[in-house]
Amino acid sequence: MLDSGTILTGMGVGLGSVAAEVFRVRPVASLPKAAKHSGDEALELESLKTAIAAVSLEMNDLAEKAGETSAEIFEALIMLLEDEELFETASAQISQGWNAGTAFINAVEEYADIFAGDTTFEERLNDIRDLARRVAASIAGISLGLDIPTTGRFVIVGEDFSPADTAQFTQAVVGVVTIQGGPTSHTAIICRSKSIPAVVSCQQAKDLVDGMQVLVDPVGDRVVVDGQESDITEALSFIAKSEDPIIPVRANIGSLEDAIAASASAAEGVGLFRTELLYLSAKTQPTKQSQATSYTEILKAAPAGPIVVRTIDAGSDKPVPFLDMGDEENPALGVRGFRLIENHRDFIVDQLESLEMAREQSGREVWVMAPMVSTYSEAIEFAALARESGNFKVGIMVETPSIVYQIAQLAGALDFISVGTNDLSQYLFAADRMNPSLGAMLNPWQPALLRALEQIAAVSQEAGVSSGVCGESASDPAFAVVLAGMGFQSVSSSRSQVGIVRQALSSVTKEQAKEVFEAALTGLDADQAKSAALAALAAISAK
Amino acid sequence: MATINGSVTVLDPIGLHARPAGQIVKLVKESGLEVRIGKAGQELAKANSPLRMMALKAKTGEELTIEVDSDDEAVATALIAQVQDFLKG
Repeated sequence: MLDSGTILTGMGVGLGSVAAEVFRVRPVASLPKAAKHSGDEALELESLKTAIAAVSLEMNDLAEKAGETSAEIFEALIMLLEDEELFETASAQISQGWNAGTAFINAVEEYADIFAGDTTFEERLNDIRDLARRVAASIAGISLGLDIPTTGRFVIVGEDFSPADTAQFTQAVVGVVTIQGGPTSHTAIICRSKSIPAVVSCQQAKDLVDGMQVLVDPVGDRVVVDGQESDITEALSFIAKSEDPIIPVRANIGSLEDAIAASASAAEGVGLFRTELLYLSAKTQPTKQSQATSYTEILKAAPAGPIVVRTIDAGSDKPVPFLDMGDEENPALGVRGFRLIENHRDFIVDQLESLEMAREQSGREVWVMAPMVSTYSEAIEFAALARESGNFKVGIMVETPSIVYQIAQLAGALDFISVGTNDLSQYLFAADRMNPSLGAMLNPWQPALLRALEQIAAVSQEAGVSSGVCGESASDPAFAVVLAGMGFQSVSSSRSQVGIVRQALSSVTKEQAKEVFEAALTGLDADQAKSAALAALAAISAK
Repeated sequence: MATINGSVTVLDPIGLHARPAGQIVKLVKESGLEVRIGKAGQELAKANSPLRMMALKAKTGEELTIEVDSDDEAVATALIAQVQDFLKG
C-alpha cells in the first residue's frame, strides 16, 4: 500500500496536470495456451480468415472513434494485419499442425525475430503483437475490451496502451499513467495530441490500485499519491534582469533552412552545425567545389557570431552512402565520428578544405570540431589537419569519458571543446541512447553527469581552452543556468529553445547561476538534483 | 513484359517503417503491377507485403533498387517517383 504523499517518478508528457481517482486497467483474460488443431487444416484456415476480417473491422471502428490523429496509424495497422506474407507464414504454421490462433501468433513472432534488436521497429512490434493477440482472442471468443467507465473523472493506469487500447479511452479519462513505454510510445503520442496529462515509464505505478487519488504532474515528471492541484510543479517563468545573457546562447543547425530560421532567432552564432545531413542523400562523394557552395550558402545565412562546424558524424547506424561502412555489432561503440579518419582521411580533408573555401567566400568566423574523439592522439591529429587546411579556431567534441582525463594535456593544442551531453551520458552510464527503457539513466540531472560536466568545465578553464555545451540538455533553460554556474562559456540550443534559454540566462547573475548549480549538487538522484535546482531558481526569481 | 528498373533513397529519419511500407503496398496493389524492392546485390522482395518491406530494415540514407514489371514506361516511372515520395518522411 502506498502512503499518502508518496512520489512516483516517470517521464512527463504535456504541460497540464490533473488530480483524480485511479482506474487500474485489468489484465485481460489470458489467451488459450499454444495448441495443435484436430487435423482439419481447411477449417483452421477458414477460422483464421474470419478472425482477421473481424479484427480488421474492429480496427476500422476504433479508427473512427479515435478520430483524425490516429486514422493513419490504424490504416497502417490494418495493412499489417492483412499482410499476405504474414498469412502465408501462418498457413505454413497450420500445415505444421498448430491451430489458427497459435499459428498467427507464431507467424508474427517469426517476423519479431527479424526485427529484434532494431529499436525503430521494436516499438511497432508491440502494436503488431497486440493485433496477433486480438486475432487469437477473436478465435477463442474472448473480449479484450478495457471496460473503461464512461462517466466520472479517472486517471487510467496500465502497463502500456496499444493504439487499439487508446481508442477506447472515454471522456472519463482525464489522466494516464503507464508502467512501461517511453516518451515516443503510442500512449505518449496520443496523450500529447489529445492534451491528456500523462506520466509514462513510471515503474512504481504498478502499486497503484483502484480508488486511490493521485496527482498526475508531468512538468515534475511525477505522480503524487493523494496529491492536490496545489502540489503541481510550476513551469518556471524567467524574468530577464539584464539585456544580455551571462554566457552566449548559440543555435544548433543542420541545413540551410535551419540556418535561415536560426538567424530569425536571438542566437549569437551557431554552436553546432551538424554537417552529415548534407551527405546522407548523396550517392557519390560531392566534389570540393559543390561542398564549398553548400557551405557558403549556409555560412552566409547563419545568425551573426561564430559558427561552430562539426565534421562528419556518421557511423554504421547513420551511414553515408558513398562511405562504405558495413554493419557492426555495436554501432555506438564502433567506427564513427573522427574514427572514420582511418579509412576516409581524404573525405575529412576534403571537408575541411571545402569549409576553408566557404569561410573565405562568406567572410564568416568559422570554428571546426571533430566528433567522437577519445584520445590525445586523435585530438592532436585533428588539430593538425584542421590548422593545415584553413584558418579556423580548432576544437573537439567531448562525448567520451576517456577524453575528459586528457583535456589538461591538450592545453595549447586546442582553442575550444564542446560537450555533447547525450553521448557523454550514454558512454558514462553504459546505457544505450536508443533504448527507451534506459531513459532514466540518460536524464541530464543525474548527479554523476553533473559532476562530470563540472570537471570538464574546470579542467578546460585551467587549460585555457574555451568550453561550451551543445547537447540536448543545453536546450533546457534551467539546465542551461546550471551549465553557466559550472563555468561553461557558451551553450547551444535547438532553434525553438534559443529565446527561452536566453531569457533564463538573462534572469540570473553568474554568482546566482553558481548557487543554482551548487543546489543541484546536493541531490542524490536526478529528481532531487532537479528539484533542488528549481527551488534555488524560484528563490532567486522571488527576490 | 518489360521490367523497368530504378532506385530510390530512404530519406525518412526513422527509415522504412510501417507507414511508408503501408503506403507503398497500397499504391502497388492499386496499380495491379508486380513491383519488387530490395537492397542492391540482395534478393528483391515483392512489394505486396508491408512486413516483408519493413524486414529489409532499410535505414535513412540507404539506396534501394526497385523493379516494376510493365510495358508502359511512363506508368512505371510515375510509380517509382511516388514511392520515392513516400520515403521522404
